[in-house]
Amino acid sequence: MSEDRFRRDLNRVFEDLAGFPSSNLHDRVRTALNAPPHHGGAYWIAVATAVIAILVVGVLVMTGSLRSTRPSPAVVPRTSPASSPTAVPYSCVTQDFTLKATAPSTTTPQVAYISAVRVESQRGHDRVTIEFENGLPTDVQVSAPFDGTAFTLSPSGMPVTLDGSKGILITIHGADLHTSYSGSSDMLTGSSTVSEVRRIQDFEGVVQLGLGVAGTGCSHVSFLTSPDRLVVDVQAP
Amino acid sequence: MCAALMAESERVLARAAAGDSESFARLLEPMLAPAYRLAAVMLNDRASAEDAVQEASVKAWRKIRQLRGDTSAIRPWFLSIVANECRMLRRTRWWSVLKRSEVSRRSAEPESYSDLHRALLRLSPDERLPLVLHFYFDLPLEETASTLGISMPAAKSRIYRPAKRLRGDLTLEDVIR
Repeated sequence: MSEDRFRRDLNRVFEDLAGFPSSNLHDRVRTALNAPPHHGGAYWIAVATAVIAILVVGVLVMTGSLRSTRPSPAVVPRTSPASSPTAVPYSCVTQDFTLKATAPSTTTPQVAYISAVRVESQRGHDRVTIEFENGLPTDVQVSAPFDGTAFTLSPSGMPVTLDGSKGILITIHGADLHTSYSGSSDMLTGSSTVSEVRRIQDFEGVVQLGLGVAGTGCSHVSFLTSPDRLVVDVQAP
Repeated sequence: MCAALMAESERVLARAAAGDSESFARLLEPMLAPAYRLAAVMLNDRASAEDAVQEASVKAWRKIRQLRGDTSAIRPWFLSIVANECRMLRRTRWWSVLKRSEVSRRSAEPESYSDLHRALLRLSPDERLPLVLHFYFDLPLEETASTLGISMPAAKSRIYRPAKRLRGDLTLEDVIR
């Protein structure tokens, strides 16, 4: 085999492997490029809020006000740990997202079909990705982490306990988990952060997913587009 | 003509650096197909390759000031961001839900592979990367080195080693002409 033939054959293999990008790649990139300022705004608002909270706590500590009301420094609530490797402002409180402003103005309510649920371990956090078809859901709520991992399945009312030490409940209104989704309804991930993801409810347009997590359970929630995704980054212990 | 095109590219880059995402999309447009091919070869997964290109485009947009107005550096700069995104995807993709159709497609593919195809897939994604840049994209050695973030002698070695694993009798002169 000549050296030129080697090049030709290798390039043919590359072509077989890669094929052609789908026709909507350019649109996907364009849409994604237009999205960051929106998310960036929310990000900087969250950062500013965290900085203000830290400053307020600092001032209270300096003036002694906090010490007089809270004798034990251990009970000071954590807001956004500055040591996060990705500098993402994790929140330990319930996070609400209402998309009414960005939802298309249709007369019939649109149902977002969940097509995939993934958990990926990333530096400093586990990322739970919920992918949608047919648009984004109208309303999403991600609960604050709570002690224990006991959930109640709906509508059966059966109690279940997930892996992990804390639970997080994701409630998605205007969505379903059965039209486009063919994956598992109970995922044991093996991760030390998000150890289990389980379907709690898929009923009357409301989907609830329970997360069993270790560590603080503080999370950062955002939407990504093209494809439409809800992303919950759960801080690693 | 060439000078006019260069000047136009510089203007578009300046607008992009000033925050105009439409200008940045125009700059990326001709690089999306090569970026996709690079990612597809590194990841051996076309859908993930498109995800990687999308994520890399957003990351590149956030880092655009790194370019300091140098239009000639855009391609190696963007391809290196895509390669990094592929590495990150490989590292983090330890668990995911696969649709049944994807599972059957993946298990069916190896039957049709040639020996060279199989040998290439036995290389790690980081070993495939310099081969893509050198053989497939036919980039100048300097640009390959820049994309890999290494010196030119190191780039020669990074190209030659995996090429020799694909075909044992290749010499360095055969590979780097």
